[in-house]
Amino acid sequence: MLQRLALALGLLILGPALALAHGPTPQRADETLVIAAPPEAVWAVLSRFGGIGEWHPLVKKVEATGGDAAGAERVLTLEKGEVKEGLDELDPAAHRLSYRLLTENAEAIPVSFYTQTIEVKPDGAGSEVSWGARFYRADTTNEPPEDRNDAAAIAAMTDFIQQGLKGLQAKVTAK
Amino acid sequence: MKGGAAVAGPGDGGENAALPPLMRTRQALARLAFALLALGPFAASGPARADTPAPLVAVVSQKAAELSLVDIDAREVRAVIGLAAVPAGLAASADGASVYVTHPDLSLVSRVDLASGTVAATFKVGLEPFGIAVSADGRHLLVSDWSADALIRLDASTGAETGRVAIGHAPAGLVVDEKAGLAYVADRESNQVSVVRLADMVRLATVPVGRAPFALALSPGGERLYVANVQSGDLSVIDTGATPREIARPKVGLMPYGVAVTPDGRTVLVSNQQSGKLAIVDAETLALGPAQPRLGTFPEGITVVSPSRAAAVDWAEDEVVVIDIEASTILGRVKVGTSPRNLVALPRGR
Repeated sequence: MLQRLALALGLLILGPALALAHGPTPQRADETLVIAAPPEAVWAVLSRFGGIGEWHPLVKKVEATGGDAAGAERVLTLEKGEVKEGLDELDPAAHRLSYRLLTENAEAIPVSFYTQTIEVKPDGAGSEVSWGARFYRADTTNEPPEDRNDAAAIAAMTDFIQQGLKGLQAKVTAK
Repeated sequence: MKGGAAVAGPGDGGENAALPPLMRTRQALARLAFALLALGPFAASGPARADTPAPLVAVVSQKAAELSLVDIDAREVRAVIGLAAVPAGLAASADGASVYVTHPDLSLVSRVDLASGTVAATFKVGLEPFGIAVSADGRHLLVSDWSADALIRLDASTGAETGRVAIGHAPAGLVVDEKAGLAYVADRESNQVSVVRLADMVRLATVPVGRAPFALALSPGGERLYVANVQSGDLSVIDTGATPREIARPKVGLMPYGVAVTPDGRTVLVSNQQSGKLAIVDAETLALGPAQPRLGTFPEGITVVSPSRAAAVDWAEDEVVVIDIEASTILGRVKVGTSPRNLVALPRGR
């Protein structure tokens, strides 16, 4: 009985900490796409941090605060729930932006933390867009269920990036 | 130490390149064995060798599950040793004979015997062993357990647990001050450093730092501890005196994941993972140097190899990055196995 109580208390204490925690083993996903538009045109769309809902097919709604500068935040509504992201760096000279997950939601996307960096480089008359993410699986214990393991996290992030790149391409090249 | 730094130069690499891969490995191991012998009790009394050992770093690659030994001067991989899955942290014994590696996903610690280039032993340890250190006499290991929130002491030869102390949440990096008999552990999710007395494995103090402390490094004399705070992007500077306390917390960049101090104690090197840049901090003024060379896409661990050289790993580009400390420049890159996370300089003749 006492043991059970101690266990319950232990879980209570652990509870809030787990919401912030991520495991020790990161994963990554990297995709690139060549878009037939100059880097400036791609960057004009990409650099509006709150504008992702206009081109990313998986983003249903965006609520953004803080503009397009480091410290800005946005809440993305995905099919199965919301995640909150924070902008860390927006470098117009390098055409590069970098942001991180502030509030996780394993239902919406099965990861416990990520940073993502998107960079636009010239490619002939067009642009090469590189989109990379570094992240941790949703369940960071050593026995994660199938929908919250490394493979699930990699599949979800890869899909999010691929669809994002295609959506960005469609938006930028639309006549 | 400085005298020993001029080494088997690029000519070495050329001669090696002509050999088939297996021979290269054999030759590398033979050279390594020689290097390790040179560290023995006879080294001090013997005449100075023309062929002083090259500065080697040992690198763990997470995805490739291997340990690479990289010659920093020649910028070549000298040996590759296969490991169990998902190696994360590593430490070298002071005699240079062994490297110990943590595998958090497997609750495992491996001991790699460098002379034979094999995994000599594996130990089941805790839940998610992460940071690791070896005592100077090589008899004890200290391991931070990310999900058990503990610092664990092990017998280095058997892997048997000989001590344990509860510390903060998600303990990550750890460093040992042998003279003071203390270990410092970065309790990542508790935003603090735990100070543990090694003699009886008792936590003496906790020092609040920035958000998500991960890596830490001691000044050569042990009077200062530098802690890289990943989430708040700053460096906690801790005075380790009788009552350890944070004395400054300068901003260093986006997601600092690695920190190292030069042998003269005057410079602190920080690898910023999210911006991919190297931050160079003056230890006296705590000012950030103007030069911030690009290390790569997602740099992580960083270590000082000699008074003039440091090396970092780039987790995303699978490279060891060689740094000229004085010039604040990148000298070159060496490809290693997929997803290198951390590295340690191997001890050599002094």
